[in-house]
Amino acid sequence: MADKLHPIIKLAGREFADGKLDRRDFLRVATLLGVAAPIAFGMAGLPIPARAQGTPKKGGIVRLGSRVHDLKSPHTYSWVEAANGARQCLDYLTYTGVDNVTRPNLVEKWEASPDLKSWTLRLRRDVTWRKDNRKFTADDVAWNLKRMLDAKTGSSVVGLFKGFILEEFETGEKDDKGVAKKSTRLWDANAIQKVDDFTIRLNGKTANLGIPEALFHYPALIMDPLENGEFKVGSNGTGAFEMVELDVGKRAKFVARKSGHWGGGANIDAFEIIDLGDDSAAQVTALVSKQVDMIYQGAIGTYATIERIPHLQINIVDTAYTAVARVHSIKPFDDKRVRQALRHATDPDAVLKLAHRGLGKPGEHHHVAPTHPEYANVGYMKQDIAKAKALLVEAGYPGGIDAEIVCRPQPDWELLAVQTMVEQWKEAGIRVKINVMPSAQYWSNWTKVPFGFTTWAHRPLGTMVLSLAYRTGGAWNEANWSNAEFDKMITEAEGYLEVDKRRAVMAKLERIMLDEGPIVVPLWRQVFNYTDKKIKGYKLHPSSYIEAKDMWIDA
Amino acid sequence: MNEMDRNLAAGQPAAAVAVTPTEPAKSKSVRGRTWLAIRHSPIAMVGGSIVAFWIACALFAPWIAPYPPNKPDALLLAYPYPSAAHWLGVDNLGRDILSRLIWGARTVLTVAPVAVLGAATLGIILGLLAGYRGGWIDAVIMRTGDTLLAFPRIILYLIIIARFGASAFNIILVVTVTAAPIIARIVRGVTLDVRNRDYVAAARMRGESASYIMFVEILPNARGPLIVDLFLRLGFTTVTIGALGFLGVGLPPPDPDWGGMVKETYGMIFIWPHMTLFPAAAISSLVIGFNFLATGLQEMARDG
Amino acid sequence: MLRYTAKQLLNIAVTLLAVSFLVFALNELTPIDVARKLLGPYATQDQVDILYKQMGLDRSLLARYWEYLANALSGNFGESNLYRRPVAEILWDRLGNTLVLAGICFAVIVPFSALLGVLAGMRERSFVDRAVSVFASVCASIPEFALGVFLLAIFVVGLGILPGTSPLSTSGGWPIWSQFVLPVAVVTLYDGGYLISMIRSSMVEVMRQPYIRTATLKGMPFRNVVVKHALRNALITPFTVILLQLNYLVSGLVVVEMVFAYPGFGRMMLEAALNKDIALVEAGALCAVSVTMLTQILGDLGYMALDPRIRV
Repeated sequence: MADKLHPIIKLAGREFADGKLDRRDFLRVATLLGVAAPIAFGMAGLPIPARAQGTPKKGGIVRLGSRVHDLKSPHTYSWVEAANGARQCLDYLTYTGVDNVTRPNLVEKWEASPDLKSWTLRLRRDVTWRKDNRKFTADDVAWNLKRMLDAKTGSSVVGLFKGFILEEFETGEKDDKGVAKKSTRLWDANAIQKVDDFTIRLNGKTANLGIPEALFHYPALIMDPLENGEFKVGSNGTGAFEMVELDVGKRAKFVARKSGHWGGGANIDAFEIIDLGDDSAAQVTALVSKQVDMIYQGAIGTYATIERIPHLQINIVDTAYTAVARVHSIKPFDDKRVRQALRHATDPDAVLKLAHRGLGKPGEHHHVAPTHPEYANVGYMKQDIAKAKALLVEAGYPGGIDAEIVCRPQPDWELLAVQTMVEQWKEAGIRVKINVMPSAQYWSNWTKVPFGFTTWAHRPLGTMVLSLAYRTGGAWNEANWSNAEFDKMITEAEGYLEVDKRRAVMAKLERIMLDEGPIVVPLWRQVFNYTDKKIKGYKLHPSSYIEAKDMWIDA
Repeated sequence: MNEMDRNLAAGQPAAAVAVTPTEPAKSKSVRGRTWLAIRHSPIAMVGGSIVAFWIACALFAPWIAPYPPNKPDALLLAYPYPSAAHWLGVDNLGRDILSRLIWGARTVLTVAPVAVLGAATLGIILGLLAGYRGGWIDAVIMRTGDTLLAFPRIILYLIIIARFGASAFNIILVVTVTAAPIIARIVRGVTLDVRNRDYVAAARMRGESASYIMFVEILPNARGPLIVDLFLRLGFTTVTIGALGFLGVGLPPPDPDWGGMVKETYGMIFIWPHMTLFPAAAISSLVIGFNFLATGLQEMARDG
Repeated sequence: MLRYTAKQLLNIAVTLLAVSFLVFALNELTPIDVARKLLGPYATQDQVDILYKQMGLDRSLLARYWEYLANALSGNFGESNLYRRPVAEILWDRLGNTLVLAGICFAVIVPFSALLGVLAGMRERSFVDRAVSVFASVCASIPEFALGVFLLAIFVVGLGILPGTSPLSTSGGWPIWSQFVLPVAVVTLYDGGYLISMIRSSMVEVMRQPYIRTATLKGMPFRNVVVKHALRNALITPFTVILLQLNYLVSGLVVVEMVFAYPGFGRMMLEAALNKDIALVEAGALCAVSVTMLTQILGDLGYMALDPRIRV
């Protein structure tokens, strides 16, 4: 057994033994590198988690309250809500669970080369397509991967494979500013290689540890190549359900596949999604009158109500979800002392209590969450109005400053957080006006507004976030922040496989962010949703993915 | 959405459906007595008192509001209900509801009257011009107005505010643009009616300027229907601001806006009803005040 | 009358043209990047650029408007970028839902307010008149959203006898009719409050007419005076107003639709406007304007039929 293990697992194992790596992180690395979850749990000295509460009963319908988007093009979904529809009928190659452990799904097991450049995916042999009972093969996988990685498709999976099997090239065109436009393509004709009917190999240009996780990115659904990337009522799939009705903006209905599902099929007979609009109060009334059995995500404004309704249960999960108040380096925020003042004027603990009912942890003004493996504790910054005022005076603003922050109306906690912070800032003489933009408008402008409040989704690694959002020229560097030393250290951190070395660099990075960084981080969120107590076999996923086939109803 | 708008959406003259126009000749003599006469109309008195109450709140907000309106307080969330310290309780951020209502009166009583005055100014000028000049000016003004009126009001609001953002200024602009054509219609109707009367002809003979004739000789005749319309419109604008707040495209926070207060808290009505009920009651009372005033004035106009 | 109708139809066509251009141009003025919106915030700029070209967004405003107009005239209103469906599919469905709700409301409101309005107006300043007037004013003054929230608190949470939302699906175990009760109640109280005042004032006017006084003086029973003489005349003036409620009911229900999660036209327009779904906003605006103008013509024609003195 031991000699078949990937060298990094041995390394991780040593770190784990030395106490440098905690159990959770060891589990993640071991399973990513192809160790089956039960064995990995054993190696970590953990009991294998029990899968279900009680014996599942068959039958019944589960109704989910969630937006019903169009589901036509799974590979370009930009909403988890949409993926929660199609995922009932289509499957992913892998499955990253509630515990952040990646498990086999359509892929039965996988192996990485020692340099992490080449990944071999071995498919299950008992999977069949629902409509024609055709065997699911490597050709199907190759077609899907090529399609979602084609720039013309427009899938966000591209971002995760850039640098690995995708390379950037200049298209020869220029944009308005005369900068050459870039696009991506497979770096090698053999990048996606069919080894045999049930084996696929990904040959990367560079190393990448996160490939099994990336295959679970929500648009990475495996579709029947014969249907040309279009998903509709009756579409073929390998999943446990068939979509029988789709009325965009109103409802969608999925009926369990009668037989032949590789996972043993679903417990419930049918799964329905009912669109209740964006109004969180309508979700409460629908739950109270039992028109739906669960909702996709809870809003802070409804939490206290649900707590008091006996037939409902609140599910909570820790995440690295947050939203950051970030500034561009233009007057008055071009002076780092003003940015520091903004941080000193903030009371994260109060924001957490007021805007998020205390669900989560107070932020520390750098974008590495306590749930990240390489998180270094550089201290919690308490509100210090006197210091904030002094910094403003030092920066040449004895009368305080005026600014405008742009934020979104949804989710509701964001607007509450902004209102709370604005009042806190006011005490230090930082007078901020609030500009609420509809979400669609916000996402068209989020990198352009000088001062904005931006949601950041949960990501498993701190280096991923820093690289995406704070590296010079990073894809989502909304602050246009640039610091050569910072960039160099991110690269350094990414290069270490040993977590304690990464953590040491991370501490330096975090301190730079505290000193001159462009952001205020009020809190780390716990995400929650509501279910009827009769629903069993469901656990809230940090990314709010909902898998209907595991649920059952305890009448 | 509102009385006038609902029937005027299709361009019906207000005078025909809701308001009995003051007899032109009579109105000159009634002019001075209107405000005193309110005392004789119980409904106008009730309406006037409610409106006066909120105006007083708005004027003296800094002195009578017990707490700062936007100051969140986490400790108060443990018991947000009405208490001796917080008569109407606190909201979901621990802010004192009474103080927010008092300051909110300032918001609504600024935005609504400014919007209505804007609409009245624009509408009066356009209506006088259209009625007095006639010809192509009349045609252009009324045609443009009709096109705007054909647009269902709320949808026009939504499109414009979704496009240009929700600020007090934009809301004022939108109310002005959508209400002016209706007011123009009322004024134009009266102008057409009186422009050939003797005293107008006399003024023309004296060589008075067109603007003098329009504003001094003609406009006062439209006072009766206009005042009633303006009060109804104030009520309507209050509801509109509330509804926009409720739909999430109202005035931006944190300054208290009654509709926004309802929106923010109505998910909690089952456990903390006071957070929703008080602001809802505040909006309703102000609208009732305006509507009662309008009804009273209307009755008085009719009774002479 | 034929000439009148023809003239009005031409009028509608011109207005629709003006409105369609207005909405189209208005949409240009906002900084929303439709291609970005379709692909979501996490797509790369180059993917966005490709889609931008594919959608032809790099062409001039007039070129795109012209194309839109040509398509619209041939009955193709384009594709909604919010629902990613042909506009017609979404629009007719939501409009249909709203018309059903509006129809029920209309059927309830008219007799309800006619009855109360006439009762109040036939004896001006009587106790009944005062009571009905105050009731009507108060109802018409409570914003729909407040009224909706009050009723929800009582009937859904307090008593639990009605469903809290109206998605028009029976899968929650509540029959469809029960999902109409609260929305209809809110609209009836709010809009009915207004209609009652209208009908009351008209009735008051009629009751002051000399012929009514004459009839009363002649010793005709009061009941007969009201039923035989006053009623018909009292309803002529508010007739147009009553008809125009349809108009309000089609476009003005957005608040009620939001409160009860009812899949209707107003909510669709709100979401379309917020999401810069230009195709849907355009088609919806044209629809709403057509409904407005058609009810106006209908009102005029009906008025002519009811009151022979009027000729347009």
